Amino acid sequence: MTEDTKKSAFQFHGNWVDFFKIAIVNLLLSIITLGIYRFWATTREREYLWSETEFIDERIEWTGTGMELFIGAIMVSILLVLPISILSFVVQGAMIQDNPKLAITIIIGLSLLIYYLIGVAYFRALRYRLGRTYWRGIRGGSDEPGFKYGLSYIWKNVLGVIPIYLLVPWAMISLWNERWNHMSFGAHKFHSNADWQDLMKRYMLFYLLPFLGVLAGIYIDISSAASGEISTGESTALGAIGLLLILFYIALPLIALMFYSKYFRVAVRGLRLHKLEFDFKARSKDWILLFIGNIALVVFTLGLGYIMLPYRNWKFFVTHMEAYGEVNLDELTQSETTRSKHGEGLLDAFDVGAI
Amino acid sequence: MANEVVDPFFSVSHFDGKTAVRRKVEIQTIGKNFFLLENERRHGPFAFEYMHFVSQTKGNISYGYEDIDGWRLTLSGPIPEDLKPLLPATRTYGSLIDKLGLGKASVAFIAASAAALAVIITAPQWLAPIIPQSIENNLGDALVGDFGGRICSTPEGKAALSKLTNSLDANPDDLQVEVVNIDMLNAVALPGGKVFLFNGLIQQAESVDEVAGVLGHEIGHVRERHVMQGLLRQLGLSLILGGLNENVGGVFSSALSNSYGRDAEREADSHSIEVLNEANISPIATKGFFNKLSEMTNEENGISSVTSYMLSHPLSSERAAKFDASFDKERDYRPALTKDEWAAITSMCANDKDVKSGFGFDFGEE
Ligand SMILES: [Zn+2]
Repeated sequence: MTEDTKKSAFQFHGNWVDFFKIAIVNLLLSIITLGIYRFWATTREREYLWSETEFIDERIEWTGTGMELFIGAIMVSILLVLPISILSFVVQGAMIQDNPKLAITIIIGLSLLIYYLIGVAYFRALRYRLGRTYWRGIRGGSDEPGFKYGLSYIWKNVLGVIPIYLLVPWAMISLWNERWNHMSFGAHKFHSNADWQDLMKRYMLFYLLPFLGVLAGIYIDISSAASGEISTGESTALGAIGLLLILFYIALPLIALMFYSKYFRVAVRGLRLHKLEFDFKARSKDWILLFIGNIALVVFTLGLGYIMLPYRNWKFFVTHMEAYGEVNLDELTQSETTRSKHGEGLLDAFDVGAI
Repeated sequence: MANEVVDPFFSVSHFDGKTAVRRKVEIQTIGKNFFLLENERRHGPFAFEYMHFVSQTKGNISYGYEDIDGWRLTLSGPIPEDLKPLLPATRTYGSLIDKLGLGKASVAFIAASAAALAVIITAPQWLAPIIPQSIENNLGDALVGDFGGRICSTPEGKAALSKLTNSLDANPDDLQVEVVNIDMLNAVALPGGKVFLFNGLIQQAESVDEVAGVLGHEIGHVRERHVMQGLLRQLGLSLILGGLNENVGGVFSSALSNSYGRDAEREADSHSIEVLNEANISPIATKGFFNKLSEMTNEENGISSVTSYMLSHPLSSERAAKFDASFDKERDYRPALTKDEWAAITSMCANDKDVKSGFGFDFGEE
């Protein structure tokens, strides 16, 4: 089957009213179950969003269950949160007893462990989601458990930061490639070879902005000093503060979004699955509109709009995704990967959302 | 009428889970089993009882099959009456809610949540007395040790301190009362019956009676097992907050900021008043201590976060008033200790040459 029509390979058919009906019941049920229902809530929302998402000519299907998410969360709670809280007592004890070496050793060790587990969590969440996503009866997955990826997550991020943060784009793209190169859909492996250098121009913009801001501040200072108007000293200071506020609350987030937009486009474009290639069509403007829309939605509904964010984000993702090439249905055979029996509790525990 | 209508919109499609090829099939039912008939092929036999519901969208219902990954049977349009009873139930909210109905399930959830909250809130109170004292003692030794060498000790001071303790408690052997060389207006009860009076409190006390009231209060915390309750509450909270909610960072902050409930403080105060009364020590000085403390905390709200998991003492004029009310003008109270004994306690830290001072880290120097 070739796909050469103008129609995008990814179509979204959902509407916000249907999603809202699901989300509002989810919210109420989550409240009266002290949050426990939220695993089933997530599942219902995904079932809806997936089922309204069409790839080529067939809708995809979410088969994850609330129970497995719940079990995942319980496991993380017992295996991770309990030991950490016990260790935090030990740290307090060590501080009381004037043993800063022990306290600091535990804190550093624990931080490293948590950082490692965040990496593992990212990997396992992607693997879980692919493993629960079916298209024409075929699912994705990975045979890697993600423990090696956790190590990469540490050393690549550290290496990215060492040269005064200049290699952060390399770390991001390299980790993306590593993650996806271990994933597969059906019998086909994903191949990812996104190039981090495509990102550098955009990154330098983000990187240099604070310096430019400081330079501008100094310029204002000097020019007002040169003009000799001592009485305006106060208003100049206010001006500098205003400039800083604009810099940090408007300019920086905007440029961060512009960078992320480029990152995601470069990353998705680097992805291949057998004879399929992918693209992500959203430009910086689209990302900025999405975020402004999200913020407005939450603010103007006094927070309730929060429950609609999964819908907006998913719709944004699907409508901008694009695929080219062909899928041979006879060749697309079932995945042989093993699947973990529990959900993304680890990711959940660290509160790191998107893929 | 129903018999003669062959619904034109009813159709069945099938994925075998092996490839992505979609097959248009017909269902051939034989008792509780069925075959799927394609043009020239027949798939099966399958049993209805091994089918399970997968999804339902816009008139399409999809079913899976027990052990066959990706096996799908998708029915579109109105399902024929004879097929309906053979198919597994659909799922909307989750199997439990679907079974009970949304209304009944909601009521059940609210009841269960209320019960769970009650258990979680009260658990530390009834769990703490069950935990053996020996475990708490080990915990106290492990956590606190010798308080980083800051415990002040002279023979005379020790003797005076244990005399004071003996007058306030019937079983002073399982208590460890110490003065620690920290210049803060505070006192703490820690796991394992450890009660530490900070030297700042000793130095600023106007009389030994004032210290007796504070000591009685801390002993109250020990005797009511408040310390263990606090530890259990911390653990429980971190489990609930960390496990069912988002960030692990919250665990640290919640572990560090444990505050005892007003109830615990009230109980400890009552204990103090009681033992002062039995020892015939005037409670009026303790009232003065509370006033001093409230002035101080109004100025700076800073008891360091390191100590905050020990017992902190929220203040109120109500508490001072309680000590005031228990004072009997007619009664002939005796001083808690003699002048010399009290002097031995106030000078204990100054006279102990080995004791370390301050609070916090001394990096590099031992
Ligand atoms: Zn207290």
